[in-house]
Amino acid sequence: MVAVTCELCPRACVIPESGAGDCRIRVNLGGRLRATTYGRPSAVHVDPMEKKPLYHFRPGSPVFSIATAGCNLHCLNCQNWQLSQRGGEEMEQVYRADPPLLIDTALEQGCESIAYTYSDPVVFYEYVYDSAELAHRHGLSNVFITAAYINQAPLRRLCGVIDAANVDLKAFDDGFYRRVNGATLRPVLEALKVMREEGVWIEVTNLLIPTLNDDLAMIRRMAVWIRDELGARTPLHFSRFHPQYRMRNLPPTPAATLDRARREAMDAGLVYVYVGNVMGHEGGSTYCPVDGTLLIGRTGFWITENNLTADGNCPTCKEHIPGVWR
Amino acid sequence: MFSWGRHLQRRELGFLGVVAVTLAITALYLNAGLRLADRGGVGWRTVDLGALQRRIESGELRDREADWYHPATAEEATAGGLR
Repeated sequence: MVAVTCELCPRACVIPESGAGDCRIRVNLGGRLRATTYGRPSAVHVDPMEKKPLYHFRPGSPVFSIATAGCNLHCLNCQNWQLSQRGGEEMEQVYRADPPLLIDTALEQGCESIAYTYSDPVVFYEYVYDSAELAHRHGLSNVFITAAYINQAPLRRLCGVIDAANVDLKAFDDGFYRRVNGATLRPVLEALKVMREEGVWIEVTNLLIPTLNDDLAMIRRMAVWIRDELGARTPLHFSRFHPQYRMRNLPPTPAATLDRARREAMDAGLVYVYVGNVMGHEGGSTYCPVDGTLLIGRTGFWITENNLTADGNCPTCKEHIPGVWR
Repeated sequence: MFSWGRHLQRRELGFLGVVAVTLAITALYLNAGLRLADRGGVGWRTVDLGALQRRIESGELRDREADWYHPATAEEATAGGLR
């Protein structure tokens, strides 16, 4: 009986023979760890980039989005729990899509990028890495939508093939991570710093859950940390919570809470702070921080107008807006 | 003057004893849970090996070797912690 230690995420699961890691999909067979969902996604969609959400990365472009079963977090409010909280052998639907077929299909669908998303792509790391490397060779971008609960060595290697990431920073509180997500805060903050160092375009999402992580003092601490460690021009998305999975006892986040959080983060010095999951909210659009010109208007996941110049400048004052615009 | 102490009968003392033992057991149980949560290497899960093997053999799942692991040391098997 040869147990193995997984080095991918901070859980450091010690997995006995015939057991799986906490993520359910990395399985010890015969003393070797197997990535059982490699090339076998269970969710495949074409989404707009705004759905990730990435607002400063190729806006409006279609992105080929995939996920396999499994996750290394266990959020009580998970919106994809039927995918993330199951192992590959429990899935009704498994597509056969090894990296070459994945890239061919993405190109056929007219996509410019591939998103590794829905569950947490950390757990299907090898599939992400091989697909992303091949995608680059075919002129596609790679976006990584993650909670960033990953160790630094594998992350640094992955950053070489990832162009943009949206990191779900669940709360700026370790206790919240332990109680609600079954994880810890510090590795996530370290991962964000690594991504910044490695030159990955980063946007941060914070889902505001009434009474659990909507305290303005905590939001200010988070905004100050983002400003100091990642830069004041890092986009931050405050997203609206909807009751689901094991957290149906709380109401949806009131719009006023999202407004207050947005104001607090902007007061702390962040320049691009957005409100998500609220149809038609003005906080879903991008404005020039210098003269207030509407640069990209959005309703939901859809762009209603795009006034940015091709190289990402405000058409009125020529202020450059950080991002990847083409 | 009314005194609780003087009026405590054997029956009440028994009841208080049951309450104290219940609280002690609850505290021990919660403490054990917290210690378990703080240990690393406990995150592994059992898996339906038969179903997994069948799906691997049919090609619905893969047995591609993963990156980022090593054979567990004896120390790792017994110690660690969420970092």
